[in-house]
Amino acid sequence: MKLRLGLAALVLLLTLAGSSSAFSAALNVAVSADPDTFDPTKTVAAATVEIAFNIYEGLVKAAPDGSLVGALATDWDVSPDQKTYTFTLRDAFFHNGAKVTAEDVVNALNRARDAEVSARWNDFALVEAVEGEGSTVVVRLSQPNAAFLYTLAEVNAAIYPKGAEGLAAKPIGTGPYKLAEWRPNQYVRLERFNEYWGEKAPYYDEVVFRIIPDEYSAVLNLLSGNVDLIPRMEASVYHQVANDSRIKVVAGPMNLVQILAINNQRPPFNDVRVRKALAMAVNREEIMFGAAWGFAQPLYSGLSPAMPAFFNGKLQEVNPYDPALARELLREAGVSNLKLTLTLPSDYPLHVQTGEIAAQQWEAIGIDVDIQLVEWGTWLEKVYAQRDYDVSIVGLAGRLDPHAILVRYTSGNSRNFFNFSSPEFDQLIEQGLVLQGSERVAVYHLAQEILAREVAGVFVMDPEQLAAMRGEIQGWEHYPIYVVDAARLYE
Amino acid sequence: MSFVAVVFLVSLMSFVALQVLPGDPAQLILGTEGSHEALAALRLQLGLDKPAPVRFGQWLVNFIQGDLGESLRYNIPVKDLVVQALPITLNLAMWAVLLALATAVITGVFSAAYSNRWWGKGMRVLSQLGMAVPQFWVGILLIQLFAVKLRLLPAGGYSNWQSLILPIVTLALPRSAVLTNMVQVGLGGVLNSDYIRTAKAKGLPWATVLFKHAFINGAIGVATTAGIQLVQLLAGTIVVEQVFGLPGLGQLLLAGVLQRDLPLVQSVIVLVAVAVLLTNLIMDFVLLALDPRVRFE
Repeated sequence: MKLRLGLAALVLLLTLAGSSSAFSAALNVAVSADPDTFDPTKTVAAATVEIAFNIYEGLVKAAPDGSLVGALATDWDVSPDQKTYTFTLRDAFFHNGAKVTAEDVVNALNRARDAEVSARWNDFALVEAVEGEGSTVVVRLSQPNAAFLYTLAEVNAAIYPKGAEGLAAKPIGTGPYKLAEWRPNQYVRLERFNEYWGEKAPYYDEVVFRIIPDEYSAVLNLLSGNVDLIPRMEASVYHQVANDSRIKVVAGPMNLVQILAINNQRPPFNDVRVRKALAMAVNREEIMFGAAWGFAQPLYSGLSPAMPAFFNGKLQEVNPYDPALARELLREAGVSNLKLTLTLPSDYPLHVQTGEIAAQQWEAIGIDVDIQLVEWGTWLEKVYAQRDYDVSIVGLAGRLDPHAILVRYTSGNSRNFFNFSSPEFDQLIEQGLVLQGSERVAVYHLAQEILAREVAGVFVMDPEQLAAMRGEIQGWEHYPIYVVDAARLYE
Repeated sequence: MSFVAVVFLVSLMSFVALQVLPGDPAQLILGTEGSHEALAALRLQLGLDKPAPVRFGQWLVNFIQGDLGESLRYNIPVKDLVVQALPITLNLAMWAVLLALATAVITGVFSAAYSNRWWGKGMRVLSQLGMAVPQFWVGILLIQLFAVKLRLLPAGGYSNWQSLILPIVTLALPRSAVLTNMVQVGLGGVLNSDYIRTAKAKGLPWATVLFKHAFINGAIGVATTAGIQLVQLLAGTIVVEQVFGLPGLGQLLLAGVLQRDLPLVQSVIVLVAVAVLLTNLIMDFVLLALDPRVRFE
């Protein structure tokens, strides 16, 4: 009986199978991971920012070129001493229908800097006071900070209604899309917010972020039409879509710094000549083609060319590829039969393949390389937290301001797992916060040069971000941060 | 009683395993952007500052009261996550075994009955092949054919029951091959026995002889194997879930382990253990019904 029922159901299943329907103005986006939480004070995951960019807004927000534009603020004034910021608020509404007031802004920013509430309070530690009245909000800093405005563009500085509860699962923002449904491990469905302040209404009624961890599965979904867009397609599956006329791929810099991290304190790597030897033995071309299928730009700096305003593009010649000289440097340093352990995060094929190629290049100059694969959780504990490693590889995600990226190389910084230490560099990073314009640029150019000269690590490449989408989709733009700006897309 | 003891041991072992594993949930959430201050604050917020035995005790007390706790990674109750994932895995496992069983009985009986014909032999070769082919590869082939080329079924992800068809077929194929083989071997011996010859001599229809007289004797072995397959699948559809991007229990467990999300991992493992024990119990009753000689001690 059971058996017959089973067969009957199966026949039914197969006959119904052809009749799937699709929304006309819905955009299905494949992403690899769930958001952690939609509470702006708590979120720390890149996967959240990617989606939350459409839901939440701060006083300012990022534009595709990395500059800042007004979001909930129409414009702002900075006092001559660079310590007081005065924002003029826009007439905007929250997803719950309420109007955005100065009180909401003050509440959200005060919570963002409250150590009891916020996971990222440290980013706002310089804020002394936030005051608001009418359509004006004033933020006072304890000292000038050129990077401060960029902090306000982060999701952690998003504005939500005062007294709102349960934002973790039910976000209330002011963005062009509002959350309709979140099924962890399955999808996050957004609906267009019709009261959005923007002049042009977004094209898509609905944007569904589908959680598909496997890159191959994501591509098959794109090919079969279940998914319209993969914002970050792995280069390893590019050949699957390369010859398909229905699919187009838009490539752009990812603003990710892939670094061969060297433990600067551990002998013999505390000798700059040994670090230099490691750097000069690395052939980036070979790695870019072997590990990233050619979809990458070589890097010689701790900043990516995706930040053109601050990027120092003249560092190729500091440690050029020269295996003979690398060998010579090792001899000079008195290091013979160098043995090193290369610890690689197995969850990231890009870094693993990079490591395998780099290991061969080092072995070519007589270094004995022992590759150790560890899973990401172990990597974070061993390499990042305990700094117990010789050499490793990781990708450092881009931010909008150079300070946020470069500050991790300063001596006392808890994110400085390279154990890099240069008093000159520390001083430059401090100066960078108070300088403006071309003076600020010059400081960061010099700071990048020190990282290269002292070989904090070997900067390898900035992989290209491959956005693969149905051919009809227009308006895609790469951002220097991890976002999918669905409101820009149309057909 | 032993039921409770097994479940307790399973939960204790999974807890210890996760403690021994290097890696810290707070560190994993913060990634390479985490500072010492942020890490300390998050650990406090997640309750990771308490010693391990205390956390296990808390989890156990809550679990007994039916509270599965809150996921560290997703910030929502584990119960909500499990309620979404459980039906997917249950459906996969159940339908895959039923489909395997159905096809195995048909192909097995016929290939045994006509073992001398070319297609009877062909079926045996096919069932050998079915056992040898890796599952993820079958899955990918099916996706290429039915989703990408023909565009009949979804390539992956979960939207409705259509998303389950290809994974079910993928899971059923090797299991069907194993079961077919069992039916063939079981029947091969029986078909030459005296009582079958008697039944044929009585003038009973061949189909009646095949299914009613001959097959039922081999059915116990087949049912036992199918039961074992069901138990295996409850705890092990993870590869197929991965290939098809299905948010079932396997994926949930994997995500939980990778994030060291203790409340999530603990709850999923214990629930799977309970499901396995219950299935075993049910299978005992099925066997009892099939064979009157089986008695409970």
